[in-house]
Amino acid sequence: MDHDDPLLRAEDATLVVRAAEADVRAFEVLARRHGPVMRLYAEQMLGSNVESDDVVQDSFLTGWRRLSDLNDPARFRPWMMQIVTRKALDRLRRRRHHDDVDTVQHQADVARQPERIVETRMQLDAMWTALDRLPADQRRCWLLRETAGYSYQQIADELELPVSTVRGLLARARRFLTVEMEAWR
Amino acid sequence: MSDIDDVPVPEDDLDGHTMEELAEYLDRGRSPRDPAIEGSASCRLALSNMERLRELSLGALQYRADAEPDRETDWVDRLLATIRAEVRPGRDVPVPHPDPRLRLSMTEAAVRGLVRRTGDTMGGVVMGSCTLDGELGDPGAPVHVRVTAGLVYGAPAEETADRLRVRIAAALARHTTLTVASVDVVFDDVYLP
Repeated sequence: MDHDDPLLRAEDATLVVRAAEADVRAFEVLARRHGPVMRLYAEQMLGSNVESDDVVQDSFLTGWRRLSDLNDPARFRPWMMQIVTRKALDRLRRRRHHDDVDTVQHQADVARQPERIVETRMQLDAMWTALDRLPADQRRCWLLRETAGYSYQQIADELELPVSTVRGLLARARRFLTVEMEAWR
Repeated sequence: MSDIDDVPVPEDDLDGHTMEELAEYLDRGRSPRDPAIEGSASCRLALSNMERLRELSLGALQYRADAEPDRETDWVDRLLATIRAEVRPGRDVPVPHPDPRLRLSMTEAAVRGLVRRTGDTMGGVVMGSCTLDGELGDPGAPVHVRVTAGLVYGAPAEETADRLRVRIAAALARHTTLTVASVDVVFDDVYLP
């Protein structure tokens, strides 16, 4: 993409209006702008970066087709986040019904090792590492609650778990993250 | 899932409130104000911790995404290929040709693209929506063009709108046989250069 492209500086709302009128380039800018974070989010939800590409690609395609449903174009990002959440949950459901719960390896790359935090002293890096170290079920509940804004009941329904389990997983996740982030207070 | 997850985890002392309750209260933007919660020091502490972890969770994802911007983006290319294949072309717009026996046309979507490009390459504006009103397929019928755009901060609105109008009319005259009756420009945003 051209670096002088005025679209690169355009607000989401402008790009959404154009994309809704079939401007593919405007949608490309949106996808490149928000895709990476959605991809990481999907990766953390699924515990796999193999599927996260598919989920994000599929989500943006759904987003493109339903752009006219988006009443407030400035809300593109949270709206996309909901779509990604839904697609990721679909994957999890399918996986659950194939009886291979959480068999997919979560890839921990070098950048995520705790040593790196010591070097960089970056709070967000620390948070990332902490999220990464959460057990998959806790992390999933946590992201659904704190990133996607799902209620305890919605999480329970989506993950096919009792609410009491969700409550316990969230409490444990919160406690773990609080302790991990204590040093950055 | 192990059975241990069903064992209730004892809540910290929250003066009779549960974390779930506090989370929902936070979701509502702490409004309407709940004096019982706001009056409890331990609840306020739990709320501020919750808020902080929420911000950090989102922040951590964003930070990571920014830290690895060059991770492969093949998925974007695949996405765009699919999208391009399903763009709705819209109505046909006649295109001028010196040979009267040839009837050429371009799609409405392509005409809108032409209008947007005309604006984007002018400098000083970022184009928004573009509407073409009128009988597009009928050469000679008046067509009203309406565009929205963002104006670069500090640029004179009236003068920029005039320039944009002239450019759009010229581009449409060059590439189509549309009879442009009017070009309305609405600036609905201001952006920094």
